Amino acid sequence: MLIELAVRNLKRTKVRSVLAVIGIVIGVMAISSIGIFGESLKATILENFKDIADEVIITPNYIHGYDSIDERTIEKIRRIPYVENIYAVKKKSAFIYYKDKKTYTTVYGMDEEDTKIFKLEKGSYKGCLVGKNIAEFLELRVGSKIIVEGKSFRVGGIIEREARFDINPNFAVIIPSKDFESIFGEIEYAQVIVKIEDLQYIDDFKKYVDSKINRKDNKVSAFEMRTIIERINEAFTGVTLFLMAIAAVSLLVAGVSILNIMLMSTVERTKEIGLMRAIGAYRETILKIFLTEALILGLIGSVIGGSLSFVGGYLIDMMILHTAKYVFQPSSLLYVFLGIFVGISTSLISSLYPAWKASKLEPIEALRYE
Amino acid sequence: MIELIDVYKSYKTGYYEVLALRGINLKIDRGEFVAIMGPSGSGKSTLLYLIGCLDKPTKGRVIIDGEDVTQMNEKQLTEIRRDKIGFIFQQYYLIPTLTALENVELPMVFKGIPKMERKKKAEYLLTLVGLKDKENRKPNELSGGEQQRVAIARALANNPSILLCDEPTGNLDSKSGRQIMDLIKDLNEEMGVTVVLVTHDSSLKVYADRIINIKDGQLC
Repeated sequence: MLIELAVRNLKRTKVRSVLAVIGIVIGVMAISSIGIFGESLKATILENFKDIADEVIITPNYIHGYDSIDERTIEKIRRIPYVENIYAVKKKSAFIYYKDKKTYTTVYGMDEEDTKIFKLEKGSYKGCLVGKNIAEFLELRVGSKIIVEGKSFRVGGIIEREARFDINPNFAVIIPSKDFESIFGEIEYAQVIVKIEDLQYIDDFKKYVDSKINRKDNKVSAFEMRTIIERINEAFTGVTLFLMAIAAVSLLVAGVSILNIMLMSTVERTKEIGLMRAIGAYRETILKIFLTEALILGLIGSVIGGSLSFVGGYLIDMMILHTAKYVFQPSSLLYVFLGIFVGISTSLISSLYPAWKASKLEPIEALRYE
Repeated sequence: MIELIDVYKSYKTGYYEVLALRGINLKIDRGEFVAIMGPSGSGKSTLLYLIGCLDKPTKGRVIIDGEDVTQMNEKQLTEIRRDKIGFIFQQYYLIPTLTALENVELPMVFKGIPKMERKKKAEYLLTLVGLKDKENRKPNELSGGEQQRVAIARALANNPSILLCDEPTGNLDSKSGRQIMDLIKDLNEEMGVTVVLVTHDSSLKVYADRIINIKDGQLC
């Protein structure tokens, strides 16, 4: 009956209760919508990296005096368990000529099969591939003939502009390994990109590298792409929480409004509180009645606000990211629940003082209150 | 049953200290109907609130059923009020959001009595005060006399041994007032409830077994 009593007390001051609920709705909606947006932003950025999460990049250990990776080391890496595939890359810098233009850039030697790690904007993987920036600078098209260190190549495909941490293709020209050797001679590898069977084996793989290759001397360094993704994840979670904290200011305002209406309620119901105390209500019972009222306001406001935050998240995503595909991902739900939790907590915390004040009223003074 | 030994009560109002009760010694037996009479400001309501464990004396002892309530903590006093005492006030003090039935149930809710049991008891008590057909009405849908009847039913909810009435007819017309007093007298006679009535209305003297006069905080 105490819950029923709390509900009826709230109904008694309907307009006030509705306004308090609206405050909570707005606050929770702001928090959760921004949470959903932050999560969508993170997902959009991480999507670019999802293909390289399971990669480890092996580079020569420059500090220890190594500037390349030899064929034997490549073979050892290939034999390590958990390796799904490896892409050994040779690299040099060279002048590229097209008609009357020239540029100096990175040239990679890769087998045709390995070049499929890149996405093409135009053309096919046959022949020589050029990065988007080079193509734009030299005004290249599929079929254009470029000269690399005196040797002529037909542009087979133009690589889509993308931000990769393993090989940056935007300013690069990629030619078949055989042609690379014929131009630059038999040089050793500049880096090896290793695809691991599953993310969980990355640490085991690195242990193998240390025991099989770096046992005598630190020949190579292994850098896992997962680390970058984790950093991005952490950074964006931080940004999202910061934005949510700003949005929480609106909830703070709602909290103050609850504090206000509860205080008013305490004063208006002084005689009732006195009567209840006189006929046998403990102080805790009075406390419970007031907290239940705040809980009901918080619960209604937070659940409505949480539900509406999907609409808010959808609108912000459409406006800023121009896509709403990440609005309903499971992690969005986490922010909705977080918003609801913060909303309910705000209501309860705001009502603590009025509830405590009500429970501290002396029955005799409360009954005599005019 | 009720004993007050050398009871003093003083209040601070602003800079002044008011001595409301000065050395009251009083004994009320089980089943007695006592009327405490005196002019306004004589200390009669203060005396009633001390008996009702709503307030503590500045000095002296208040003993109820052999227990010194002046030594009790807040929680124990609440339990005494809930289990042993029924209050009837001049302004009825019904909870406006609750129906007549629910108002009667309220003291039983505080005692933790199961829903079905308390509903049955509340219905019985409303029948006793002649309001069974109005059990679902809210206080503002009842007349003053009816509201006071609901308050009486509520006062009886936890089977108290003492009924404390503070000017129970003060807000009623003479006919309703008479009906309320008849009802309280019946409860005293038939159920054996001890009644302490505070009033300045001398026409209520007839209901009491004993009249106690109070003036300037002293019995006379």
